[in-house]
Amino acid sequence: MSDCETPDEYVQERIQNIVVFMCNECGQGSANTAGVARMSYDAAIRIIRVQCTGQVGPIQIMEALNNGADAVACVGCCLGACHFFNGNVISMHRIKLMKKLFKELGYSDQFVNQYTSRAAEGETAVGDFEDIIDRLTTAIQEKGTIKDGC
Amino acid sequence: MDVKVFQFNGCKKCFNETLLLKEDAKYKVEFVSDPKNWKGEKGDISVITGYLVPSDLEHLERIKNNSNKIIAYGDCPATGGVFALANQKGHDVTPLTNLIEGSNRVHGCLGEIEELKLAIDGTNVPKLKSLCQVCSRKATCDYLEEINRQIELEDSKTCFNDLGFLCSGFIATECKEKCIDYNTPCRGCKPSIDRSGIRMLAMFGTLAGNIEIATEHSVKGATDKLGDDDDDLTDSLPDVVGNFFRFTLHTSGLPKGRIPSSGTLLEDVFIGRLIEEIPLITGVLGGAKSISLTLKFIETYEEANQIEVSEQTKKYRNELLQLEKDLQNAINNEDASKYKEITDKIRFIAGNMNLSNLFFGGFKSIIDANDDFNEYKTHVFDVVEGTYKNGSIEYTINPDGIITKIKIKEELL
Repeated sequence: MSDCETPDEYVQERIQNIVVFMCNECGQGSANTAGVARMSYDAAIRIIRVQCTGQVGPIQIMEALNNGADAVACVGCCLGACHFFNGNVISMHRIKLMKKLFKELGYSDQFVNQYTSRAAEGETAVGDFEDIIDRLTTAIQEKGTIKDGC
Repeated sequence: MDVKVFQFNGCKKCFNETLLLKEDAKYKVEFVSDPKNWKGEKGDISVITGYLVPSDLEHLERIKNNSNKIIAYGDCPATGGVFALANQKGHDVTPLTNLIEGSNRVHGCLGEIEELKLAIDGTNVPKLKSLCQVCSRKATCDYLEEINRQIELEDSKTCFNDLGFLCSGFIATECKEKCIDYNTPCRGCKPSIDRSGIRMLAMFGTLAGNIEIATEHSVKGATDKLGDDDDDLTDSLPDVVGNFFRFTLHTSGLPKGRIPSSGTLLEDVFIGRLIEEIPLITGVLGGAKSISLTLKFIETYEEANQIEVSEQTKKYRNELLQLEKDLQNAINNEDASKYKEITDKIRFIAGNMNLSNLFFGGFKSIIDANDDFNEYKTHVFDVVEGTYKNGSIEYTINPDGIITKIKIKEELL
């Protein structure tokens, strides 16, 4: 395959495992609401329930990526609405540093992300999942995922 | 006890330090500075110094077959060390454990000779305290108001991290070099846990929880998400790799870097680093000319930007240059007591063998108690974009203070 073309099927094939850490409050809540409303989302999304996205840091993200995840994302409460203190904001800072780190190593920064959602609205979670896929697609097209390296 | 010391690639600081083994009569020490042409005689203990690349495997296997125990001495063979920063540009600096099974490790840049002796004797190193436990500064771990790349040397009681000045002491153990005693934050050459760099990244990310960060509206999710734009956090930490992973880039479980290489491995170590971090990097790179290289780097920048330097500073710098020459003579003569005497003198002025005390515009801590520190105290300096050239060294820095190009002539290596 030449450098300039990445057919959609190839991209689709490459999106197999996306680890999404969802907080027990808004994140998981919105996913539950989406489930109740029978909304569908990509089968590559693998949800891991955590108490708060503040629990998730670079160690867990690297563990997931090194064990085969194509992308990792955190979904937490809306800004200012963390059910603990500010775990969602702390997690955002760590993920921002991870993004910077990947850029400095010559990779795309689109396969590690953080989102927020609202427990009462299932479409916020599903929308976040779609955005994760869009960003990962960009990363694959740029040949910038971890699997493109080494 | 029969000890053979092998120097592989890169800086010879740890190799030279093993000269001190000679002071102890129970060790019969042999130095092999060219392991590639070593014939291979049976021995008891082999000490490996210098950084390793996969092509060294053949020689390492020969060493392993001829010895009962292999010890990786110093950060370069133990974790890849500062040279592993070149892996950001696709090089393949590898720790000894990835090449040979069953080797022991003595961490540190410079590795501590007492720990090496314990490793040779087969005694366990006593449990070391964390660096923060022995640090004279006190931490509150409050959220930071801002992140600073340089600080004025006014407050000697508050933790560097509380001042917004990144220090990796949280993940390091106590050490002899102790940069923190010379107003220099730790960069974690002697880690207390595995994947230390990435843990420090998490810690600092948490401390920076109050710093402004870019968020954007997610159209699909109809909520906020983390933005891709640069923000206060990324602007104040322009070199994440060099600051958090200075000694542990290879062992942090990160993928190998894909930044195009610009030339030699040594130049790739420097490119991407920050101007204010350079004195410490040239200091740890050691080599026979580490003092000249560090001072050349500093003086080139000072001259071009009219940073004033006092007579007292010049005097101490000249003393250091003289000591560097004397040290080389002592090493050439394999004179252990002379080596110890001269390194003690270097430590007196430069703080430690990593030259932590040296900086732009003066020194970071008082050298002699009788001195007036204000005479040679360093101050925060401005980062000025441009190309700096002075004889054997030439480097370019961008507006963020990142080295983008560098050429070092052989006479300084």
